[in-house]
Amino acid sequence: MKHDNVAARVAGGALLLAALLATFHAAAKDSEPSKAQDRIYTVVEGYKVDANTMNGFRAWRAAACDRCHGASQQGLVGPSLLESFKSLSRENFVKTVTEGRLDKGMPSFSTSPMVMENKDGLYAYLKGRSNGDITRAKVEELK
Amino acid sequence: MRNSARVWARASLAFMLALPGVAAANADLEKQIADPRNWAMQAGDMYNQRYSKLHQINKGNVGKMQVAWLFSTGVLRGHEGSPLVVNGMMYIHTPFPNKIFAIDLDTQKIKWRYEPKQDVAVIAQMCCDTVYRGLAYAENKIFLQQADSNLLALDAGTGKVLWSVKNGDPKLGAVNTNAPHIFKDKVITGISGGEWGVRGFLAAYDINTGKQVWKAYSTGPDAEMLVDPNTTMTWTDGSLKPVGVDSSLKTWKGDQWKLGGGTTWGWYSYDKSLNLVYYGTGNPSTWNPAQRPGDNRWSMTIFARDLDTGMAKWAYQMTPFDEWDFDGVNEMILADINVKGKPTKALVHFDRNGFGYTLDRTNGALLVAEKYDPKVNWATHVDMKTGRPQVVSQYSTAQNGPDKNTKGVCPAALGSKDEQPAAFNPRNGRFYIPTNHVCMDYEPFKIDYTAGQPYVGATLSMFPPAGEKHMGNLVAWDAGTGKIVQSKQEKFSVWSGVLVTAGDIACYGTLEGYLKCVDANDINKDLFKFKTPSGIIGNVFTYEHKGKQYLGVFSGIGGWAGIGMAAGLEKDQDGLGAVGGYKELKDYTELGGSLTVFALPN
Repeated sequence: MKHDNVAARVAGGALLLAALLATFHAAAKDSEPSKAQDRIYTVVEGYKVDANTMNGFRAWRAAACDRCHGASQQGLVGPSLLESFKSLSRENFVKTVTEGRLDKGMPSFSTSPMVMENKDGLYAYLKGRSNGDITRAKVEELK
Repeated sequence: MRNSARVWARASLAFMLALPGVAAANADLEKQIADPRNWAMQAGDMYNQRYSKLHQINKGNVGKMQVAWLFSTGVLRGHEGSPLVVNGMMYIHTPFPNKIFAIDLDTQKIKWRYEPKQDVAVIAQMCCDTVYRGLAYAENKIFLQQADSNLLALDAGTGKVLWSVKNGDPKLGAVNTNAPHIFKDKVITGISGGEWGVRGFLAAYDINTGKQVWKAYSTGPDAEMLVDPNTTMTWTDGSLKPVGVDSSLKTWKGDQWKLGGGTTWGWYSYDKSLNLVYYGTGNPSTWNPAQRPGDNRWSMTIFARDLDTGMAKWAYQMTPFDEWDFDGVNEMILADINVKGKPTKALVHFDRNGFGYTLDRTNGALLVAEKYDPKVNWATHVDMKTGRPQVVSQYSTAQNGPDKNTKGVCPAALGSKDEQPAAFNPRNGRFYIPTNHVCMDYEPFKIDYTAGQPYVGATLSMFPPAGEKHMGNLVAWDAGTGKIVQSKQEKFSVWSGVLVTAGDIACYGTLEGYLKCVDANDINKDLFKFKTPSGIIGNVFTYEHKGKQYLGVFSGIGGWAGIGMAAGLEKDQDGLGAVGGYKELKDYTELGGSLTVFALPN
């Protein structure tokens, strides 16, 4: 949907569009064709994102993840999520934010509605950052 | 465990009550402080001066200092504060899990050790690393303020727990990082959690029983703050006037004061002749000013309270309606100095907001308020009549509003100085300030409160002032006039408590891990430099044992200093691959807690 809207608004032709827009498919592997429902984020110009990913960013801010992981996810007291998300599975991500890694200082966000209700978006946002498709930490909603 | 400890405590209490003279509870600590061979309090004294009369190590020979011995704490995270030395024993603390090692200085053998059992969930409730700023000593007891808020008294000879009391609820973010302080017969402690919506307070506990004697909140109804509308005074239009009824409640919107912050995790000081305890309160919650219109009293405030009752004698709010997280918790240094030519019982305070304040500590009169870093830009000056900072609109995160990035505010949220304490040299009247030379971008946003979850409401990035590369200075300051005497550049924030001695040296640590000593009368003159195993955020201390003076410091990088470095220089526009200050710090040091002790060669 958003994809189409953008396509309509960006009048620069298919090549330009391809350069501006990245869509990531969670299950995509080189050998597998991706399915539309696997698409976890849409980003234009590196910072305009779909509503779900935008909510993920809002959860990131509200939960103050930057205090440990850095305003650009680069890592501070906590690890760099740009690195972690290269190998962190979705299951492990959900487990980590839900249960925390208490001995390492990662809190449990199980009582945070903001995080729990926006896990998908948060995963999408961080995956997009780690993949390099979302090129700046502060994103805006794609309209 | 707890029960047996309690029984033991009761038995020992009964025993002590049978002894004469126990009531003069601070006599023992005063005696230990008066002996310069000891380092019996975190600042060496009750005035927070960090001055030692020892002079065997002096400006003529400090260059020859060598490492006498080292001790690994076995803990990796940020090591703040310093050990205590009392009567030939050294008491070493660590960050979480808050271990204690009691070391016999004759043999350097661990006489006893203590490691509390704390829920690891506490680690995640601590905002800025798992730091702990140290122990307290009095009457053959060691006082430990655990991260999980439990306050303990232990037998200094055996490490046996005498009593334990819970000071807050860590599940709601009310944890502790501060050192407890002993004044008279009371243990004074505060609370952390300004980023979790904790309502700050200062509390006094009986040193013999652990029973709470008083608790004074920073915000809320007068009775809960131990504020008397008629007798608690504040600087108003050029003179001291009573604060009046509901002085806090009137300055908050609705019930926001209940989540209002004003936490109290700094260092406390005490003037025996006035029987007043002094401390500062932290930021109002949240960091998004739009959610809390008003002055938000009494966050960001210097308090003077009667030690016995907790009643506030005076209060002075430095940063009404904070918009930058300029916590007012930094130490209050008590010194009798000339202020504008007049001998004054002064209180000197270097606030996170970048102003150095001098007040009359007997009554709270504002005497001096000047910038101790010329780069401070969020306010032009403090109006001496109203006592209010004159905020510059460009740097007002409230005027710019939520979801707007206010750029280039100096100082950054970690302040021109944070918890790292300054020192006072009575020999030349100067103060030595370890400073951060860091600015920030600050973008507030709306945040909803969830109990036990972070309650911050702003995104920050930090960096050195425009056109500059160094991120710290050691500053020599004249508190009588409010002027910088000298300033010495450091590559990174100076996040280490300064020690000044009768040997005319001032010593401090650096984030790269150097212990440095400079000429106290000319701080640009380096006299000694040694690279310890890790970056230093601890405080320099000194003691004498068997006729020999020693000087020591914790190393162990971490704390907000590390975070500040990390946050620095990686701004969005720098892109993902940006290298910054923190990366550079990594070229110098790695985690790891240890104590390095120096002495002159035999």
